[in-house]
Amino acid sequence: MDDLLIIAVRGIGLGSIYALVGISFNVVFNASGILNFAQGNMLVLGGLFAFLVLPLAPDVTQWMIFLPLAAVALAALMAVQGGITLLPLRSSVEQHSWLITTLAASVIIGAVLLLYQGAVQQSVHSPFANFSLAGTRVPATYAASVLLALFWYVALRLFHTKLLVGLAISAIAQDMDAARAAGIRVRRLQIGAFAISGLVVGSAGFVAAPMMAIANDSGLAYVMNGFVAAVVGGLGSNLGALVGGALVGVVSMYAAFEYGGEFQNAVSLGLLVGVLMLRPQGLFGRPAARRV
Amino acid sequence: MSDTQLRLGIGLVVASILLPSLLGSAYWAHNFLIVNLFVTVAVAQNMLLADAGQVSFGHGAVFGMSAYLVGIISGLWGYDYAIGALAGVGGALALGLLFALPSLRVQGYYLGFVTLSAAVVFPEMLVAFNDITNGINGINRTVPSLTAPLFSGLSWLSFLVMALTVATLAGHAWLRTTSAGRKMRVAAVSPEAAMTLGLDPGRLRFLAFTIAALVTGLAGTLYVPVLGFVSPYAFRVDLSIYFFFCVIVGGQGQLLGPLIGAWILYLVPNALLADLANYRLLGYGIIALLIMLVFPDGVVGSIVSFSRRHRLRARIAGIGIDPVLSWAGIRPSQESGAAITVRGARKQFNSLAALGGVDLTVMAGSVHGLVGPNGSGKTTLLNVVSGFIPLTAGSVQVRDRDTTRMPAFRVARLGVGRTFQTPRVFEQMSIWENLEIGADVHSGNNNWLMEMLEPFRGEWSENNPDLLAHAQRRVLEILRTVASDADILLLDEPAAGLSAIERRDFARLIRFLRDRLGKTVLLVEHDLALVWKVADRITVLDAGRIVAEGPPDAIATDPRVRALFTGSPDA
Amino acid sequence: MLEVRGLHAGYGRVPVLHGIDLTVRPGEIVLVLGPNGAGKSTLLRSICGFIRPTQGSVRLDGDDVTGLAPEAITRRGMRLVLDGHRVFPELSVRDNIRLGAAFRGGRPDFEEMAAPALEMFPILREKLLSPARDLSGGQQQMLALAQAFVAQPKVLLCDEPSLGIAQALIPPILEFLRRWAARGTAVVIVEQQIDSALAVADRAVILERGEIRLSGAAEELKRDARVHAIYLGLDETEE
Repeated sequence: MDDLLIIAVRGIGLGSIYALVGISFNVVFNASGILNFAQGNMLVLGGLFAFLVLPLAPDVTQWMIFLPLAAVALAALMAVQGGITLLPLRSSVEQHSWLITTLAASVIIGAVLLLYQGAVQQSVHSPFANFSLAGTRVPATYAASVLLALFWYVALRLFHTKLLVGLAISAIAQDMDAARAAGIRVRRLQIGAFAISGLVVGSAGFVAAPMMAIANDSGLAYVMNGFVAAVVGGLGSNLGALVGGALVGVVSMYAAFEYGGEFQNAVSLGLLVGVLMLRPQGLFGRPAARRV
Repeated sequence: MSDTQLRLGIGLVVASILLPSLLGSAYWAHNFLIVNLFVTVAVAQNMLLADAGQVSFGHGAVFGMSAYLVGIISGLWGYDYAIGALAGVGGALALGLLFALPSLRVQGYYLGFVTLSAAVVFPEMLVAFNDITNGINGINRTVPSLTAPLFSGLSWLSFLVMALTVATLAGHAWLRTTSAGRKMRVAAVSPEAAMTLGLDPGRLRFLAFTIAALVTGLAGTLYVPVLGFVSPYAFRVDLSIYFFFCVIVGGQGQLLGPLIGAWILYLVPNALLADLANYRLLGYGIIALLIMLVFPDGVVGSIVSFSRRHRLRARIAGIGIDPVLSWAGIRPSQESGAAITVRGARKQFNSLAALGGVDLTVMAGSVHGLVGPNGSGKTTLLNVVSGFIPLTAGSVQVRDRDTTRMPAFRVARLGVGRTFQTPRVFEQMSIWENLEIGADVHSGNNNWLMEMLEPFRGEWSENNPDLLAHAQRRVLEILRTVASDADILLLDEPAAGLSAIERRDFARLIRFLRDRLGKTVLLVEHDLALVWKVADRITVLDAGRIVAEGPPDAIATDPRVRALFTGSPDA
Repeated sequence: MLEVRGLHAGYGRVPVLHGIDLTVRPGEIVLVLGPNGAGKSTLLRSICGFIRPTQGSVRLDGDDVTGLAPEAITRRGMRLVLDGHRVFPELSVRDNIRLGAAFRGGRPDFEEMAAPALEMFPILREKLLSPARDLSGGQQQMLALAQAFVAQPKVLLCDEPSLGIAQALIPPILEFLRRWAARGTAVVIVEQQIDSALAVADRAVILERGEIRLSGAAEELKRDARVHAIYLGLDETEE
């Protein structure tokens, strides 16, 4: 029983990272139809930011100051990446160029990390003490990461329903042609969506850094699990990403506990294939709406 | 063009293996053996991506599976290398088919993500099952009988690698000339068009994955004697991405593309930054990104399109229907009775009833017009007959066979051909090949149409359909359907975009199809003038229901029909 | 106001329009009629930048806007209302309308800018906070028009406003368009049905196979038997 509780708590903690990556996926996907392979390495860069700016034993004030900076830094980087990714889509007939450009961006970031820090894993310390929940000790980072996922879920919901620019981005997702006819500058807002996605993933990397592997080759595993979370929940649905993330986290934590850490990703892959074969639209996804 | 690429490719492979050894550079001789194995895998990846349209990012895992089985069976367990190699190929095939499985359900980036994930997981599994794989320590396995020098540094292994790479390149070129290769490309570009020709896209995908896995597996078996060592590190996801980038950088679809891509991505970082292995990944990423932004067709693809643009091309005469219409024979319809029978067809899309109980009988050997305003359900009905859309209720019969629940490719095999609103013409193939796809699925031995068109073969084989005007594409698509020997033709708005003269020719072609070839034609068309002229019977649809049915004269004067088309109740 | 000269356009390789000329003055309603597949929607879409014309020019207020992106054309004051009453289904009626004026900058008062439309279509005011997907087809068409209205375009292009809409809702929609034009807006309406919009139009052109076959005052065309013949494909001048 205790084991299951630990698995559940740790799984949800881990899953919150996947949920955050999944949400950041959705932001870009909804606005542009692009799935950004580099999202995992962007997360790692958020973690690296924490590693670089936080002292070995950070205090809460320092942490609070640097958190928004990490988000903004990644937002700027992702806006640049978005601009580059959308560039070939402007004229070329090659609509799937983004498959390659985002994969290349991911490889480049990984390579830069390798050159910068070598093939090592960095770790970051959290300024918060562990606390206990239902008798188990829970690292504060887990709670912070879960709270961050909930924060972004609510914030994005408000953004997309209250702010005019958020409404415009939603409009692009709902009907691109009608949005253009309404005078909405699609390309600009798509780059904006990349930046917002950067805010999400940058803050996620910063907050979750103490439980992440900050290494040149860990990005792909995060992007993969984030994608699984998004697909399980239903691509495009942030609520789905939250639930999907928790599910993927708990299942892979269970696999790690039962069979060993090497099986975490294998189990996620199995989950992905299972969902795609049985219910490709995911838990909360709607079958593609017909446009007559 | 492809002949030049093939010859050049073979030349480069042979030279890259012979020259370094003859010049006495053991370092480059060794490196080029590896490069040629990578070229082999990249060629398979190119075929899978460009010919079969499958986005698979995980070929490093297939390659590694083969190499690791060789290592385990012949290295750890001590069996003969040949047995290990056999198992390696078998393992690669099994993994390749596992990759093919999701391709039946999902395509594009979904498939890319699944296969990429598999490539992430594969080395982790090598570590996880360390009691079988020897874990992170890897496996040593040299094969002295293959690597022993024969003369001037060359070994049996050199020739095996050379033979495999050359055979793969030549095999890819050959595949494209075969019927299976053409079918594969059609299914990749337009699965719907493939199904209307009676092809099963899922099976063709499996075929492509099988071929790719076989070739990749063979390359994997040679990887062990070349390196003498396998470790999980060698088969990380980077390797899969490298194979994919080779294809993109070289130019997807180009025969020589993967070779050039593999050379650039392997040799440039290796030659320039020999001491800085860590820069290699950065090199891959930047080269791939730049190529995509600047030369989206890849190196070879860009050279090809550049030389094409700067070569004065003789305008071809185009595809006329006159040679076809001049055919002297007559093949009257062998059948009588109903060719298509639709009973009580209902189709519900969510809350919208696209078809609300439609009955339709198309008599064999007749031209049957299907008209109605936008959104009246004409194309839905056509898709129902083709087998693309399952009915909510009701039944469809083709002659006396019930096809209500039949998949499209099986309906097509009953002799039901079809064209689309936008002609499905395949730009990557020559005009002749575009026709040949039809002949490929022809069941009989002698294809009179292809025989008749034989004089044009040379000219049409030289040219791609990108030269053709819209009306000619339309004709090409119909000729292809005729070449496939379908005797029921479903034509979806064929006259759209045709000029007045082209429409007149087109009307002649339709009459020819009926009167001389005995075809049954179901014609969905906006152009009422054309329908009045060529149809024997006309069915008028509105909002998913039949408004009127009868011969053209009766329909043209029917007040309900007039009201429907003009929107005036008093017309 | 709107001046189209020798416009050729098509989808990919399929040519649809063969040299269309069309001029619309402020305050005028021009109706574009034609049978199915005549190229009416293609005409509107190539005027508004969704399809890049292969030849010819589009001028708005004297400025050449040929080949500009649709959003740029909207921002210059020419607004297309797409066919099929397309709105943003998950957004509320109010947000749908707000988005119509989003590009105008500033913070226009919602009541002030939307009042004329909401007066004409009181049902929209009732459902101001409901998501647009809950509206009927006709109500969605009203919403699409209201969204275009708050953009205050100089030229309005409206693609089949009566398509898929209950007969009873067509008159108020046409009446709205008439009042709108009376404020000085140049209006182009594409319709499939001959009679529905002729009543409010000043002039009409009949398109057939991508060419203008007939044009004239709406009153005259109403009585012209050739219009019906074109629709029924019985007017064969070519053979």
